[in-house]
Amino acid sequence: MILSLSFCLYLTAALFAIGVYGVLSRQNLIVILMSLELMLNAVNLALVAFGRAFLPSAPPDANGPQIFVIIVLAVAAAEAAVGLSLLLAVYRKWRTTNVGQIDMLKG
Amino acid sequence: MDTFVFYIAGVISVVAAALVVTRRNPIYSAIYLVLFFTMISLQFLVLRAPFLAVVQVLVYAGAIMVLFLFVIMLLNLTPEELKEAVPRSRKLLAGGLALVLFVLLVAAIRQSPTVRNAPNLTAPIVPTEAAPTLGQAGEVAAIGESLFTTHTLAFEVTSVLILIAILGAIYLTKKRRPDNGEGTRIPTGLEKQEVSPGHVVATDTKEAES
Repeated sequence: MILSLSFCLYLTAALFAIGVYGVLSRQNLIVILMSLELMLNAVNLALVAFGRAFLPSAPPDANGPQIFVIIVLAVAAAEAAVGLSLLLAVYRKWRTTNVGQIDMLKG
Repeated sequence: MDTFVFYIAGVISVVAAALVVTRRNPIYSAIYLVLFFTMISLQFLVLRAPFLAVVQVLVYAGAIMVLFLFVIMLLNLTPEELKEAVPRSRKLLAGGLALVLFVLLVAAIRQSPTVRNAPNLTAPIVPTEAAPTLGQAGEVAAIGESLFTTHTLAFEVTSVLILIAILGAIYLTKKRRPDNGEGTRIPTGLEKQEVSPGHVVATDTKEAES
């Protein structure tokens, strides 16, 4: 069996599309944040696949893609922390996590 | 064998991702998200990224999921609160848009000559004279060296970003002291308790002086 780069990218495209569907179709803020994590993971997988595919051609910075993924991971952790604390602040004020009901600009 | 693992993990990750976005109860979403992260970690292993595979389990399946579950349990939402009034038309629209995105991405991937001519993902790695440590790429030592030499600036900037995120999270979740009489007032007994030890000490010293 052959593992091609294009199959790997199709997989990441599918995962990313599922994440987009989650963000667009759900109203629960927690699940929307989870869908964002799905999308970030799909992108990470694509980066690692590219890095692996072009590894045998001896790139100048073989570890670059994986360093990139580590940075994305850290940013994702920061994003989850800030997103969830925003969610807590919103819940404290409006008693709901449903984005359909949070429809005022004024806090 | 590696390829087989990758295909299985890929199928499971797609199914788990679909379950994450469709479950009504966020707890189930979180559990399927753990499965998804683990499958991604397996794929990292196949793609010669052992360090990332471990970090994926530690940070995503460990830390971030604990954060999510903690918030879900802290909010303790009732089934009524979890109800979503998404019209069927909007769900269909979202699905259609996601499908269009997927088709466009697949079309772009198929068109790209870089992807088409890319070497196999299981191709052997032969270290060259220019890059003698190519075989160790992705292992902890190589990642660490690269992170702290070539990519030091990115590392430092990320650390500042995380610091700001911590401060932001603390500021956002902090209970503000209401000063306009709105919301819950802090009980006056608590304020007294906070003040009294210093006060008592002050009077004690005064008495001692006199």
